[in-house]
Amino acid sequence: MPLPSKGSELRIKIGGAAGLGIKAAGQTLARSFVAAGLEVFDLSEYPSLIRGGHNTYTLRVSQRPISSHVETVDVLIALDRETVDAHLDEVIQGGAVIFDPAVTSTDGWLPSRRVRPVPVPLAKFAKEAGGPIMANTVALGAALALVHFPLMFLVDSLREQFAHKKPEITEQNVAAASVGYAYVTKLAGDFWMGVEPLPGQPKRLLLDGNEAIGLGALAAGIGFYAAYPMTPASSILHFMAAHERAAGVVVKHTEDEIAAINMVIGASFTGTRAMCATAGGGFALMVEAFGMAGVSESAVVVGVLTRPGPATGLPTWTEQSDLRYVIHASQGEFPRVVLAPGDHTDAFELTWKAFNLADQLQTPVIILGDSYLSDNRQSVPPFDVDAVTVDRGKLVTSGDVADHPEALGEDGDYLRYKVTADGVSLRVLPGVKGATQLANSYEHDEYGYGQLGENAEVRIAQNEKRMRKLELARTLVPAPATFGVDPAEADVAVVFFGTTKGPVLEAMRWLEPDGVKVAAMQVVTVWPFPADEVRTFLGDAKRSIIVEGNFTGQLRGLVREQCLVDVDDELHRYDGRPFSPEMIYAKLTEVARNA
Amino acid sequence: MPEVADIERALEPTWCPGCGNHMMWKALKEVLEESGMGFEDYAMVWGIGCHGNGADFYRSQGFHGLHGRALPLATGIALSNPDMKVIVNMGDGDGYGIGGNHFIHSVRRNIDMVAIYHNNQIYGLTTGQASPTSDQFMQTPSTPGGVVEEPVNPVGVAIAQGATFVARGFAGDVEHLKSLYRQALDHHGFALVDVYQPCVTWNKVNTFKWFRDRVYKLEELDGYDPTNRTAAFEASMSTFHELTCAPDECKVPIGVFYCEEETFTYQDGLPQLDRPMWKHAQAPRDIRSILADFE
Repeated sequence: MPLPSKGSELRIKIGGAAGLGIKAAGQTLARSFVAAGLEVFDLSEYPSLIRGGHNTYTLRVSQRPISSHVETVDVLIALDRETVDAHLDEVIQGGAVIFDPAVTSTDGWLPSRRVRPVPVPLAKFAKEAGGPIMANTVALGAALALVHFPLMFLVDSLREQFAHKKPEITEQNVAAASVGYAYVTKLAGDFWMGVEPLPGQPKRLLLDGNEAIGLGALAAGIGFYAAYPMTPASSILHFMAAHERAAGVVVKHTEDEIAAINMVIGASFTGTRAMCATAGGGFALMVEAFGMAGVSESAVVVGVLTRPGPATGLPTWTEQSDLRYVIHASQGEFPRVVLAPGDHTDAFELTWKAFNLADQLQTPVIILGDSYLSDNRQSVPPFDVDAVTVDRGKLVTSGDVADHPEALGEDGDYLRYKVTADGVSLRVLPGVKGATQLANSYEHDEYGYGQLGENAEVRIAQNEKRMRKLELARTLVPAPATFGVDPAEADVAVVFFGTTKGPVLEAMRWLEPDGVKVAAMQVVTVWPFPADEVRTFLGDAKRSIIVEGNFTGQLRGLVREQCLVDVDDELHRYDGRPFSPEMIYAKLTEVARNA
Repeated sequence: MPEVADIERALEPTWCPGCGNHMMWKALKEVLEESGMGFEDYAMVWGIGCHGNGADFYRSQGFHGLHGRALPLATGIALSNPDMKVIVNMGDGDGYGIGGNHFIHSVRRNIDMVAIYHNNQIYGLTTGQASPTSDQFMQTPSTPGGVVEEPVNPVGVAIAQGATFVARGFAGDVEHLKSLYRQALDHHGFALVDVYQPCVTWNKVNTFKWFRDRVYKLEELDGYDPTNRTAAFEASMSTFHELTCAPDECKVPIGVFYCEEETFTYQDGLPQLDRPMWKHAQAPRDIRSILADFE
């Protein structure tokens, strides 16, 4: 595993009590590095509390592309003693700890042969600059001085952060950062670690996964978004609400998740591109209506951003344990599509594609993510907005139903649920002349009426019509993505879904200099399951493993069930923390050795 | 414009002979005919229950939704297409029981739509269990010892929650019911019409005769002012009475309890709802200026 080489990579962790503005400070720092042409990846860990409890923000900065956080820390900013106690072990040999001796006692950890203490009177400087809340800003200045990084990027970033506040607030923060910077410049001397700006880099975006999902929905032409707040999905609601008037979206914070998805189905009925998003618990409330979207053939997009369950579980942590749940949720059977973005670029692309799939198939589409996607910010290349397309499928928005004789019954009335070869019926919007139609949560005939839906032949015809759309879906959905060498050439072949992508790709970069050849497959569309592609991939592999963030091996179970094959090994994690590349690197090394 | 015969479906209603839903069906069809609205101008939404089977008996643009969830489904229609009037049909168990949360929040939102409650004070479709509006001490298969709790007072709850139009009808008086429907359709805001429609099969207490002996019209009451919220709330308290009360001991007011003109609707608070929202999805939206916020 590579250590950071001087000037090219740096990992900073800020820790302290909740309510001290740790995440905001960290994000200010992240913006500074991105402005300097560097790549960043951050990880916020926090309990489900507004004040109190221990929060951390970890920022990885690099001159090279990076795709995940790492376990180790080079510079620890300890705003309290608990940070030292909880995270000193993560600091590498020769790393540094910035702390305020007036706040954090040195008993029991100093003197240290392993880390370099950098005592800074953070509270005193903050008070002098304008207020004790600015201790974290003083610490940011101190940290940049320690790693020989120009202060001006932080100053610009602070000015941006406080642009909407009174000018004196901005200037107080700039002063706080400057005093921390000046104080440590004198102390730092020849501290060996550092990271240097990379001028002339192309522009990047710095955003989290929920913002990527929101941007994908906006690009797709969303007109209605409804949600009830639930971590980690809530910030999609904030994002959509912030843009509702300028972009032209009706955004509704509803009384519960049941209302949210029912409103979304109602909006879809009028032809509006509509979406809701929640966590696994909120989706539990949505499930009955999710089934209604299936039987009523409503084009809706549902984001399920998961966290460790069951029930309230670990609200602010991450897990991949809702895979089987979203694939199977609802009584009865109907076609659905489940897309699992692995990173922010995936999240943008799969979200706009989800709207097309929902329209083409006239059925619900799930975007399955997790806290690791929702919460964490990453620098990414600008999204490819020119690639976005709007394909509304078999949709008629104006004119007269009479112009579409193929969709009319013998009595001349419109058949909303006309049985067709591919299972998709012509969807003529309410408001179009003659488009009287009944969308129905009951089984129904071709008109949509429920009474005849109880006829066995009608039931069979409608059920088979709907399920044919799953076969059509197989031809439309994104294929699995592959990385690394061909599986036949690989020492180890790894299969994963969702946000395990980042740590896997990172571990693969580390394995390259070790001479370990890895083939990797990301199951992007988890439903309908790409059985042929996965079976072929595994069939060519000498040694194979599935890496997934749950206890029971849900993806492995799907592979066995859908492909009638198995893998040789597995790596699970279910403690609420995301996979680290270190974990995956160690496991793949072990599997490759045993090959 | 569609006439009653056009609005009817070829399917014959399957409600029990004498069921109050027949009269509500007749009243609504006739009011729709005289409203002058075309089929394209309105959408109907149903919950689940005996009333919901009515979805099959209209030719209409509509959605037969889930039990209890008609209001949010209708809200999605109303808040995504400003050109479409939405008429919601619900039952008492459907709308005040399992859907009670949506009832309260829809009232306070003052969404411009018509909400008709088919209130038979019993669960008909599931064979006669007590409903949220069943009178206290009424015996049913789910409450053999009698309903312990007081009934929901939907008119009072709506009035207390800031409703802008609250009326109550009786299926035994179709002409009066039609006048309520007309006013509800004309109302700018959330128009609630609770209709007593006796269940001839399961509710042996609150029969047509029971109501005929007790109903009176608020508009015929000397000095009743439907713009006085406090008086309207007091009138709603007739909900609470003895199960076995004599006709002169428990009178049942029908008519418009409360009506407020010039209301601020939820739609009025959405300047972006200036067109059917599907029109935003005719081509990709240009998000370059929003992306610039993240650079």
